Amino acid sequence: MSRGEVTKMSIRSLAAAGALALVLGASGAVAQPFYKAPPAQDWDGMWQIQNAPEALRTADGKAPPMTAEAAKIYKAHLAARKAGKPAFDTIQQCMPHGFPRILTANYPIEIFMEPKQVTFIHEVHHFPRLVFLDAQPVKAEDRDQNWMGFSTGKWEGDTLVVFTAGVNDKTVLGTAGLPHTTDLEVTEHIRKTDADTLEDLVTYHDPKMYSKDWSTRLTYKRLPAGTRMAEYVCTDENPEIEAPTKTASK
Amino acid sequence: MPSGRRLSVCLIALAGALAVAGSAGAQSDRLEGPLIRPAVSSKDPRDLSGVWFIRSYNRQINATTGRVPDLTPLGKAERDKRVQAEKDGMPIADASAYCWPHGVPRVMNSPYPIQIIQKPGETLIVHEVAHNVRHIYMDVPHSNPVKTAFMGESVGHWEGDTLGVDHRTGIDEVRLIHGPKLHTIERIRKVEDGHALENQVFIEDPDYYPHPWYMRDTYAWRPDLRIAEYSCEENNRNAPVNGHTVAK
Repeated sequence: MSRGEVTKMSIRSLAAAGALALVLGASGAVAQPFYKAPPAQDWDGMWQIQNAPEALRTADGKAPPMTAEAAKIYKAHLAARKAGKPAFDTIQQCMPHGFPRILTANYPIEIFMEPKQVTFIHEVHHFPRLVFLDAQPVKAEDRDQNWMGFSTGKWEGDTLVVFTAGVNDKTVLGTAGLPHTTDLEVTEHIRKTDADTLEDLVTYHDPKMYSKDWSTRLTYKRLPAGTRMAEYVCTDENPEIEAPTKTASK
Repeated sequence: MPSGRRLSVCLIALAGALAVAGSAGAQSDRLEGPLIRPAVSSKDPRDLSGVWFIRSYNRQINATTGRVPDLTPLGKAERDKRVQAEKDGMPIADASAYCWPHGVPRVMNSPYPIQIIQKPGETLIVHEVAHNVRHIYMDVPHSNPVKTAFMGESVGHWEGDTLGVDHRTGIDEVRLIHGPKLHTIERIRKVEDGHALENQVFIEDPDYYPHPWYMRDTYAWRPDLRIAEYSCEENNRNAPVNGHTVAK
């Protein structure tokens, strides 16, 4: 019996017994019965978005179905960005990206799978996002707003369907500045398309800004094993510490 | 008092802060009724996963001796400077006043809930306060040198049923009086039949303390709480002015 088999067996018996410690001879480390999701639902580890989009497009490559009001705001945002004065862009003042914009930030994300919670730690602005699998979804009108909203999820096969509502309207959907209101409700279908790829099909529902619901597809790749999250601190006015940590430290 | 469990996190945080003035130990942390998680943490002594809430929060340095630890002349000068600044109504701003990460061990002593998540190579602590995130890498040595960062570098391993965490920093921008030589060793274990977590923090920094000392924090198991969003950056009423925290 190989060592791998012994370990596998031990873990299985641990799951049955529920409590005993497992000693790994090679490293001398004392293990414990961690939750290990089935492979298709196991996203534990570090990931990063691929081809982080600046201007979001629909999943079939079209412009989002903006209402006249949204188109007007978006046009102003694009002009402000071009002029180098994107006052709409709260991350310029170290405010949170908020949800769903944080999904498109080009920084690592560390994911922790648990039976009742999926935790996304975003390196950017060291912001956590907790998705509760044991909570009832809350509609936009039923809660106060904050930056990340309230996210609940449920498994449909190996796809995690996450519903988020209750976001403030200080943020935009992506870097380019597509607007949204506090009515925004986002449904994500997140699944592994292969061992090292996560796909997030994001659907936006915000009737004041978009004449119909629309979706965009985001792809995340697994980062090399051993990659650690860097400390990202958003500031440019730190008098106490040395230059390397003044801004996003890598 | 069933309605007590439905308090908003803000109120709970406030209660935590008020408990400082009164008797923090008197806080009831054995809850009954519909809960998010089991009423007591799992029977596995090494399973720390779940939400915990400090109950020994103390603005003063919280040594087991119940008094401020001995300081070197450098440490004493720093303490006197801070005390004077407080008396003058101009407290010296620390990292948290700027909404920066709180550092260790300070972040372990905030009146907000924490959630522990455990994976084979890492123990993660999600702190509600100022969305601090603490990564404790398991069964690996420290980097050499440890990278300068607010949250420094924490490495952990199990010693029996105690999680030992060795922390080194490289920065002195935290509330506890210390310099870049700060080194802490935490011993975290479940106590009170899984209703509480104990953290004994060994602290050494020869520049500021003539000898190492301990502080001890305990945290109640909180099956009724989820970590809420805490956005320090928005409306920071304590935003420092010229290095001082000024009430606005």
